[in-house]
Amino acid sequence: MASTVIDPASVLKPARDIRWRRIDGEAVVIRQRAGEVLVMNEVAARILDLADGRTPVSAWIEILAQEYDADREALERDVLAFTAELAAEGMLEVDPIEAGKTTDGL
Amino acid sequence: MGFEQVLQKTWRENILFSVLVELTYRCNLDCFFCYNDLGLRGEPLRTEQYLDFFAELRDLQVLHLTLSGGEPLAHPDFLRLGAWARELGFVVRVKSNGHALRGEMARRIRDEVDPYLVEVSLHGANAATHDRQTRVPGSFDRLLANLREALDLGLRIKINSTMTAWNEDEIEAMLALTDDLGVPLQFDPEVTLRDDGDREPLSISPSRAGVARLFAVQAERARAAGVTGAPFAIGKGGDDGTMPAPAAKHCGAGSSGVAVDPYGNVYPCVQWRRPVGNLHRQSIREIWADSGALREIRDLTVEAKGVVDAYGPAGALMSFCPGSAAAHGNGDPLRVYPEALRRMELLGEVFGGEEERSAKRRAILPVVP
Repeated sequence: MASTVIDPASVLKPARDIRWRRIDGEAVVIRQRAGEVLVMNEVAARILDLADGRTPVSAWIEILAQEYDADREALERDVLAFTAELAAEGMLEVDPIEAGKTTDGL
Repeated sequence: MGFEQVLQKTWRENILFSVLVELTYRCNLDCFFCYNDLGLRGEPLRTEQYLDFFAELRDLQVLHLTLSGGEPLAHPDFLRLGAWARELGFVVRVKSNGHALRGEMARRIRDEVDPYLVEVSLHGANAATHDRQTRVPGSFDRLLANLREALDLGLRIKINSTMTAWNEDEIEAMLALTDDLGVPLQFDPEVTLRDDGDREPLSISPSRAGVARLFAVQAERARAAGVTGAPFAIGKGGDDGTMPAPAAKHCGAGSSGVAVDPYGNVYPCVQWRRPVGNLHRQSIREIWADSGALREIRDLTVEAKGVVDAYGPAGALMSFCPGSAAAHGNGDPLRVYPEALRRMELLGEVFGGEEERSAKRRAILPVVP
């Protein structure tokens, strides 16, 4: 599995074959191509909500820090690691346009 | 919480999770045993109503949306509705006869609707049998060509087949055909009445020997594949293809799923045609929360569990359906009908106690068959 480097400026969106809904706080996630069902906890579900292809990861961390009253540094570390894991699994995609902006400063 | 627990929760707490929508009763085939009530009249839901309905389902966190018919591809705005369903993030299933699943339509379904699964009906292993059922000459050859094209496009396909007196001698040949295509085939061993109560389709119900042979063939294939427990659907699962482990209710009809006909009538499931509301008069949110008829349905699914449990472990082999029971038993959803008893008896003969126990233990059927 290729590793994906995610930093606070990264902008991500769910992969095209991902479908999910919130059931009692948790996320039921279907990976259509793999035919796989995953159940994710509340924070993971929130991250899927936040991955809208526009909002950078840094903004997710701010939002989550407020919502969960969590230690910001620990939260950033956890969110970046988890997001990288989701990206490596092919569930989140780095938005190429937003990534291009980040790289080229455009 | 695992997926099984999630499904149980939807049943227990009445969380709408799966919706089947019959977009139209129009069809380009003329199947002898079609269960649709073609005499039903009413004001069809307009496309704009469907768009709002789907958005409301998304807000309710419904995950599975099945587009059915009639032939759903015959709805003039099928692609628009399918694309909207995809945009709203549903796991979309399309139940089609496959007759129009080709060319531009097939490509646009893949690109715009991006369904999780397209379920297609096969009625025999050769043109004579299949076309006899569809009453459209050439439909078998066209279906096979369309299936190959759809598979080449990358669409995920599942084949459904209702076993009848006409095709019961072709079980192995149909399985060979679908094996050759590389797609799963799920048999339904029960011909159902039409939704208006017409019993004519039952005239081609499969024989007892035919159903017994189907179960034996399926068991042998499962053994050859090294599958243990209950490897295949022996009856009808949920409309979304899932079936949670035993819970306080017999099924999720009206508790985690509903079906909607082209005129906006809402039913507890596609089999159980007792209306619980109408989308012309109420929103699905209102129906889900306030319908007294739906509350009765939920209570009946609890009672149905008691009916099945009274048969002991073997009861699970009946694949008892309250909707079928109501159709067979003059509206009584708790009366065990002959086909269910026959299924229990035959599966008991094929598998013995081992299968009875595993049926009780069954967790969920695979989401991708």
